[in-house]
Amino acid sequence: MAATGPASTAARVVSPFNPANAVTASRFLCLPPFVWAVDNGYHQWATLFMFICGILDKLDGAVAKLFDCRSAFGEVFDAITDGVCYGFGMIVLVAYGWAPVIPAVIVVGLGIVNSVFRFIYAKRAGKTVNYKSYAMERVVGFVAFMIGFATGPMETHFYYYYFLPIFVLSIVYDAKRMLIDPVPGAPG
Amino acid sequence: MIELVSPITFKWIMSILTALASTWALYDVVHLTRLVRNHAPTSDPLVRDKYFGYAMGIAIGLLGYAGILRYHDVL
Repeated sequence: MAATGPASTAARVVSPFNPANAVTASRFLCLPPFVWAVDNGYHQWATLFMFICGILDKLDGAVAKLFDCRSAFGEVFDAITDGVCYGFGMIVLVAYGWAPVIPAVIVVGLGIVNSVFRFIYAKRAGKTVNYKSYAMERVVGFVAFMIGFATGPMETHFYYYYFLPIFVLSIVYDAKRMLIDPVPGAPG
Repeated sequence: MIELVSPITFKWIMSILTALASTWALYDVVHLTRLVRNHAPTSDPLVRDKYFGYAMGIAIGLLGYAGILRYHDVL
């Protein structure tokens, strides 16, 4: 039965130093060994380190639920970590010639643009909030796989070029929602 | 330092992981079908986002499967 009274209705303050954010932050530890593997030409090791990074991404949500430490900061931190890890991974792959330059640069560039739009959306909403999008959840998941397709290598050019229209369409759709459409729950 | 598994095993690991992830498209097909059947209002931005998101999920899933078929010289 739900508790009532002032104590239960007050917003719960969650420290940013919690287990879920620790799991999220630990994803950055995958990047140095990933660079080492790419630098040495170890395709399988590079794939493994990016796979661990992706698994940790799925794990942090479960840890947040388990320890009841979900927070707006955690959601934003998770989104930023996604962008940094996958963006950095893709740049490394381009630098070593493992991924085609044009689609990778477009994906990273539009990813940065999307992050700026998220920041503007948070300002419009008037609070720290991560913009939720069903399409972007799937797109970000596929971007993680694209890094794996390049480290594999597995049909790298096919996946990178044919994914572009889906990615661009999702970014344009989200841009409209974040910049033009009214913020859900906001007055007016 | 050597690689973890043989190239053929790695090829199959990559294929299976991609196939498992692409199967997510079925989940999106079910949810999109449910939205269409229930005539969910597209005037609601959150519902519209679901329509769009599920459609993109299906497209991504199909792309995943197409890549696997190409990887194994089927397509």
